[in-house]
Amino acid sequence: MVQAMLNPMNKIKVAIVENDEDERFFMVQSFGGAGTFELIGEFGNGDQLFDWLANAPQVLPQLIVTDLNMPGKNGYDVICEVAAHYPQIQVIATSTSFIPATREKCQRMGAREFLLKPDVFIDYDSFVSRVYELVKDELVKD
Amino acid sequence: MPITHETAFEQLGEGFLILDPTGKILNCNTAASKISGYLFTELEHQPFSLLGGADLDSIKYQYELDRALQEKKLIVEGWKSKKDGTRFWCEATYTAIFNESVHSGFLVLLRDVTERKQIELQLLQSQEQYRLMVEAVRDYSIFMLDPEGHILTWNEGGTLIQGYIESEVLGRHFSMFYTADDLLDKKPERGLEIARATGTYLEEGWRVKKGGSLFWASVVMTALFNEQNKFVGFSKVTRDLTDRLQSEAHLRNSEARYRSLVEQVADYGIFMLDTKGRIVSWNEGAKRIKGYTADEVIGKYFSIFYPEEDIVSGKPPRELRIARATGKYEEEGWRLRKDGSPFWASIVITAVYDQDHRLTGFSKVTRDLTERKMAEQKLQESSNKYRQLVQDLWSTNRQLTAVNRELEEFTAVVSHDLKEPVRTIKSFLRLADQQLRQSNLQQALVSVDKGIRGTQRMQELIDNLLNYTQVSKTDLKYQALSLSGIIAQVQQNLQEAIRQSNGTIRTEISADDLLADQVQIIQLFQNLISNALKFNEAPSPTVTICSWYEGDQIRIQVADNGIGIPEGQLEKVFGVFRRLHFPSQYPGTGIGLSICKKVVERHKGKIWAESQPDQGASFQIILPLNGSSNVESHE
Repeated sequence: MVQAMLNPMNKIKVAIVENDEDERFFMVQSFGGAGTFELIGEFGNGDQLFDWLANAPQVLPQLIVTDLNMPGKNGYDVICEVAAHYPQIQVIATSTSFIPATREKCQRMGAREFLLKPDVFIDYDSFVSRVYELVKDELVKD
Repeated sequence: MPITHETAFEQLGEGFLILDPTGKILNCNTAASKISGYLFTELEHQPFSLLGGADLDSIKYQYELDRALQEKKLIVEGWKSKKDGTRFWCEATYTAIFNESVHSGFLVLLRDVTERKQIELQLLQSQEQYRLMVEAVRDYSIFMLDPEGHILTWNEGGTLIQGYIESEVLGRHFSMFYTADDLLDKKPERGLEIARATGTYLEEGWRVKKGGSLFWASVVMTALFNEQNKFVGFSKVTRDLTDRLQSEAHLRNSEARYRSLVEQVADYGIFMLDTKGRIVSWNEGAKRIKGYTADEVIGKYFSIFYPEEDIVSGKPPRELRIARATGKYEEEGWRLRKDGSPFWASIVITAVYDQDHRLTGFSKVTRDLTERKMAEQKLQESSNKYRQLVQDLWSTNRQLTAVNRELEEFTAVVSHDLKEPVRTIKSFLRLADQQLRQSNLQQALVSVDKGIRGTQRMQELIDNLLNYTQVSKTDLKYQALSLSGIIAQVQQNLQEAIRQSNGTIRTEISADDLLADQVQIIQLFQNLISNALKFNEAPSPTVTICSWYEGDQIRIQVADNGIGIPEGQLEKVFGVFRRLHFPSQYPGTGIGLSICKKVVERHKGKIWAESQPDQGASFQIILPLNGSSNVESHE
């Protein structure tokens, strides 16, 4: 773990949207174990995420990490709807292929960033560090 | 034996020389040495200006070569000298030669036209007098004769010159103005004969005034033709030259200069008409363009140049009326040459007035634009052709761009979606590896099992992809099909799925005929119907297929009582590998509807989905009925 453990109050509140259960399992492990994030929700697609958000959860995420390719509402739908209805929440999109056009499309739609998924999903630690470096200045309260 | 260029060159009747860029003679044919009187060996390597005679007028020759180079082609007429010093009137046509746009010399064509020139010079003289008369009409006695020579009209000039008033002469024979000697000589009759045969009779001689005194008269008799070119009599113009000889000589000189100018214009036919439209003068250009010599046309009504329909519609006199009223008449149109062949003419008719502003006739300038028109037409045709080509290229380009974009999107989606299971397999292999190292056999077996499932999914994706590509690649075989027959076939294929889902297929087919590719249409309905059964939670899934005609299209609807499609996803369902549900819930790769869309689009039709909450989904299809007449364009 590169980052120091943060005071629970200062951890970044994150929600994960990923349709592959196995992958999601390892993501949750890495985000949870990093000590810099507080995982407050995990969802299989956009439909599940928005059902949850629509029910006014007590704590809203500061950051949503979403896969792009999912059944039902996919990553693009997540980016659009969050930008439209929850502009205070940042969205980072992930995918197995890095295509410049895809990255541009995501950013145009309102995503904070587009990141390539790790080579194998059993090793999300360095991915989690990259996400932290990307958003800590804006989202970590001192 | 075939004719070679060399033989043709050698035997050409016209003199032919090849010059280098500086004007030195490189080669010439027999005719050229014959015309010039020089042997080939005497001409070779000599400047072309050698033919200019003793004075070696090389400046003029250089000037002509320069012009020929500038204008590519130049025709010059003038005197040239033979070896023995005799002159000959020669028409020289220069053509600049280019070899891959580098100037490499000149071709010169020589034609000895001495005889023609002499005829022209004679003509010039005979017309000079006539022209003088037309321009000074008020000093002339002008009257008309019937074909036998009886006086029909009289004018003021006649009263002044001959001394008779109108009533004294009308109806009398014009021989009354001749001397006794001339009458014995039958000069009046001979004058009429000549005028009738050649168009004009010119004479200067003594004539008798009223009271018997003599005056030196210049006489022109012109045969008159009406608008149908029928001979109707003569005009006779008489002038008293007794005390006007000096001024006439002066006029003659300035006229001669003007005349030679007009004469030598070869590109324009320039000639004069009298007030009635009869031709009174003629130049070289007119001769070249229309093919008539001066003798053949002078005195004729100018309508002889017009096609029959123009004559019938009264166009020639109308043009003169307009020129008279407005001063000028201009147009382009077809005219006829002597040999009857048409040429495209640009003409300008200008009314000509004398010093007292009386109309004395018309000048007519004619230009042969046939070649220019043809060139313009060719240019237009080729321009049209290129425009068409550009349009074709544009549309091809648009199609290619569309195909490219589609291909790009497709490649992106496919590479991405194929990569996903590969990554899954790799991940589980790495996980199994870790677990085996920790001797965690049970967990490792689970990971291996999940990895195998990843390979199965990969295989499915590749199979479907091949299937999809096949739909776009294969040529369509259009044939007349029966929709109910197709549905029956699909029901047969899906027998097992229908039985397992406890489903029912209903048809309400009002439009049965369609023109389409059988294999693809079966695939279309098979995908739609199996989807309708799959995405269905009803105890007895029902699929209803309706069809009806809409104009020259057939509309087909496939409706079900299944789970429906959320409003925002209606268009997305057609995307490649696009799924709305987790595979655990409704298995599939998300390619079925992409194939349906591809099939319909290849048949130039449209497909879209409709869904009302809790009322299932319906797929709407429109296909053109004249399927085979559509050329495939965006494949």
